[in-house]
Amino acid sequence: MTSISVPSVAEEGAQHAAPSLADPRRASWWVLTVFLAPALAVYVGLTAYPAFRTFYDSFFTIEGLDATFVGLDNYRALMSDETFWVSVRNTFIWSFIAPVLDVVTGLLLALALYAGVPAARFLRVAWFTPVLLSYVVVAILWMWIFNYDWGILNATLRAVGLEALASSWLGDPNLALGALIVTHAWKWAGFNMVVCLAAIHSLPREVLEASELDNCGWGAKLRYVIVPMLRPTLLNLYILAFIGKMKIFDLVWIMTQGGPLWATETVSTYVYKRAFNWNTFDLGYPSAIASVWFVVVCAAVIILNRLLATRERLEY
Amino acid sequence: MAVVTLDKLSKQYGPTGPVVVDKVDLHIGDGEFMVLLGPSGCGKSTTLRMIAGLEEISSGKLSIGDRVVNQVPAKDRDIAMVFQSYALYPHMSVADNLAFGLRRRNFAAAEIERRVQDAANILGLTPLLTRKPSALSGGQRQRVALGRAMVREPMVFLFDEPLSNLDAALRVNTRSEIIKQHKRLGSTMIYVTHDQVEAMTMGTRICVMNAGRVAQIGAPLDVYWEPADTFVARFLGSPPMNLATAAVVAVDDSHVARSPSVETALTRWSPQVLGNLADQKVTIGVRAEDLHINKAALGGEPAGHVRGRTIAVEPLGAETLLLVEIESGVEWTARLPRHVPVAIDETVDLYFPANAVFVFDAMTGRAIIGEKRRDIRQ
Amino acid sequence: MAAMLAERAPLPRFFSRGALALVLGLYTIYTLGPFLWLATMSVRTTAEISADHYAWPKVFHWEQFRIAWVDSDFATYFWNSTIVVVGAVAVVTLLGAAAAHALARYRFRGNRLVYGILFSSIIFPPQITLISLYQILVDYNLYNSLLGLTLVYVSLQLPLTVYLLEGFFARIPQDLFDAAKIDGYGDLEIFRRIVLPIGMPAIATTLILNFIQLWNEFLFAVVLITDPDKRTLPVGIRAFMGDHFQDIGMIATGVMISVIPVIIVYIFFSEKLIRGMTAGAIK
Repeated sequence: MTSISVPSVAEEGAQHAAPSLADPRRASWWVLTVFLAPALAVYVGLTAYPAFRTFYDSFFTIEGLDATFVGLDNYRALMSDETFWVSVRNTFIWSFIAPVLDVVTGLLLALALYAGVPAARFLRVAWFTPVLLSYVVVAILWMWIFNYDWGILNATLRAVGLEALASSWLGDPNLALGALIVTHAWKWAGFNMVVCLAAIHSLPREVLEASELDNCGWGAKLRYVIVPMLRPTLLNLYILAFIGKMKIFDLVWIMTQGGPLWATETVSTYVYKRAFNWNTFDLGYPSAIASVWFVVVCAAVIILNRLLATRERLEY
Repeated sequence: MAVVTLDKLSKQYGPTGPVVVDKVDLHIGDGEFMVLLGPSGCGKSTTLRMIAGLEEISSGKLSIGDRVVNQVPAKDRDIAMVFQSYALYPHMSVADNLAFGLRRRNFAAAEIERRVQDAANILGLTPLLTRKPSALSGGQRQRVALGRAMVREPMVFLFDEPLSNLDAALRVNTRSEIIKQHKRLGSTMIYVTHDQVEAMTMGTRICVMNAGRVAQIGAPLDVYWEPADTFVARFLGSPPMNLATAAVVAVDDSHVARSPSVETALTRWSPQVLGNLADQKVTIGVRAEDLHINKAALGGEPAGHVRGRTIAVEPLGAETLLLVEIESGVEWTARLPRHVPVAIDETVDLYFPANAVFVFDAMTGRAIIGEKRRDIRQ
Repeated sequence: MAAMLAERAPLPRFFSRGALALVLGLYTIYTLGPFLWLATMSVRTTAEISADHYAWPKVFHWEQFRIAWVDSDFATYFWNSTIVVVGAVAVVTLLGAAAAHALARYRFRGNRLVYGILFSSIIFPPQITLISLYQILVDYNLYNSLLGLTLVYVSLQLPLTVYLLEGFFARIPQDLFDAAKIDGYGDLEIFRRIVLPIGMPAIATTLILNFIQLWNEFLFAVVLITDPDKRTLPVGIRAFMGDHFQDIGMIATGVMISVIPVIIVYIFFSEKLIRGMTAGAIK
């Protein structure tokens, strides 16, 4: 926006008469402080400082009020900590693979609504509902769905004669992670659907009409025009989903606590356990885990952004 | 034969919705350049889109070539369209944009290559083939859109206000480009615009539309010199035709049109016709370029006379526009040569050839047809 | 627009209308079914549920809600959640709007730096601040207190609030501010009289968004509060489930209590909610 040089006649309205403040886009130091200081204080005090402190703590063993400097010991221990590596593996599996499921489901659902089914507006609102539920609610619901004796899943399988498939979904180390991924996808499908739908609706109508004249049926339109033009949105959704899953805690904690046998142990559940559940109650080691993980997450996001985010704007 | 026929074609949104295209009858001959002209909302774009197959036809019959195509999907109608917003595929290069339609139709690679190269050469796109649309200017994009239609070698080309998004200079260039291609290809082209300059310069025939209906169809100059109603009369021509309400009065053994500020003989109509109109009100029209401030310029021909008060004088260099208030609320514009020594608020007398007058029914606006003007060379 | 497209867009050939309707119907059952199941179970006693998990309630045991509310402490949990969430949302909206306005409107050195710092903290995994926050709250005697939790909640939602509001505020035309300056308004007045009213749609959206996210927040609540009578709703339900995991009827009722406010907000503000929650994702 261009700055306006306000005639000096109006300057007496401002508290200060300094000429530079005639520009409405400049404010005095005092005004900026009033606006920014509270938020910055909260940020520094409750986000920045704690982050630094966690990093700082990682070089200590902290039991109660005693802090013993141990240098890089925590980090060395971390490298050989098998549980940690299992949790990293689980979290990575989740973070890299599940978003594909999320985005594809979201796109398919959005296309179904875009095709102009009746009650599309109702379906859009209905399908979005799980996004609003807390993880506690979702976890409890799906624990009941997965229940071996009377859960919906096994009951349905038994009812249609597929008894052999009825399993202990959360109790079998081979199935538990998949079960959690499905649960998590159930909650978030609606979100991806809404974003994809909005993106599809914002595609220029005339380009789609041009493709119709170019002999594109639905399949060709999807493959050659719609999906390529949606690429920025789809990749954005992937990255958002990725970030979300790198942080996941609530769902896992309530449904499996990281079990059975660490099949669903994620970095966040492991940090929680080491910090608050173990008898040693040493806060230094989990701080080290948290610090490492912080670096990993940030690096992953930056790398993913470089790799996937399209640099050229699809201008239309 | 690339003939397009519209038979009472109509479009209505929903059973109780607005009728945006109302029983349009139009026959477009092989190789013709037909311009659909009209103000925004007159239904011309909707008509074009019905021809293209992008809008469903509510009623009426549409034929392309010798078959009825109401139910035929757009891609099978052998038409190509150039959109107002170019509608290029933003993620594909120019070459891919040109080739896309052919690839989807399973043309042989060699044939695709040939057609793309030909179109690129003709339109000057060869250095741009690897670029994406975002790296092109508006004029270049429109040429790519034109090329995309050309490679299809369709039976009919459709244009939906293709020049609206271009600036004035580019518009002139692209306009002549399209005309050039029409001469070269000899294809049937249907062109929608609201700009009468485009219509006058490009069309073999123009179809003026108003509120969903056809107002008049004809060659551009025919429509200009013999408008079918006051709407067409005022839509073509800049400044618009001057109109005034007058009464037809018998004087001696002829008739004149007379109003408080205008009086003119009516030389192009037979006594019977004028007799029927006697003592009735009509709308008379005179084009701005037919008004003269110097009566002598008319030679000795019968002349009409209008008197008014000057409201504005607009010297444009090559000509001067004079705005005159002839009655309360009625303004006439005269196009006068070079410089005119008239001041604002002056009373001024303007003269016009009597056979330059148009007469329209005061109620319906429809033209009351007389003899052709003898001073216009067709 | 969607209606006009529906008129034109023929469905894919391999999807007859029937097949598509079936798929959509199944997905809707998949999405809403569990929730409906929960609702029915919340008005049945555990005995009835154990007998048949999927029956429609014969008798609607509304008193389950009263029992859960009064006897099982859900009232306490509910009020704790309300206090903390309403408080945090109010504070974060105010602080966030002020900061967003300053960042969107004023040119000063470090503007983009401050914005970048605030914005980038959205990707922080919670663990990086969790452990230290625990220690800090203990040090300041705010551990196990609703006030402490509220402060932490403010810090959790601040980056997102600033991000969403800055985007919106930046789009307010500069002309309005220029005119106000000429009229003699001071900066704080401009914020109150121009930014807040005009930015109300975005502020409302952010408000609803923050409300939903904090109402459902679990990790920090479970770490920073240990007193049973200070628990927020998610933690309370979890604890209840831990203690009475066989008492399915009561758990269902408790869960319904936590879900109902969210559903009510959703019914009234579904469009705003959907738009708000997906705001940053659309490119």
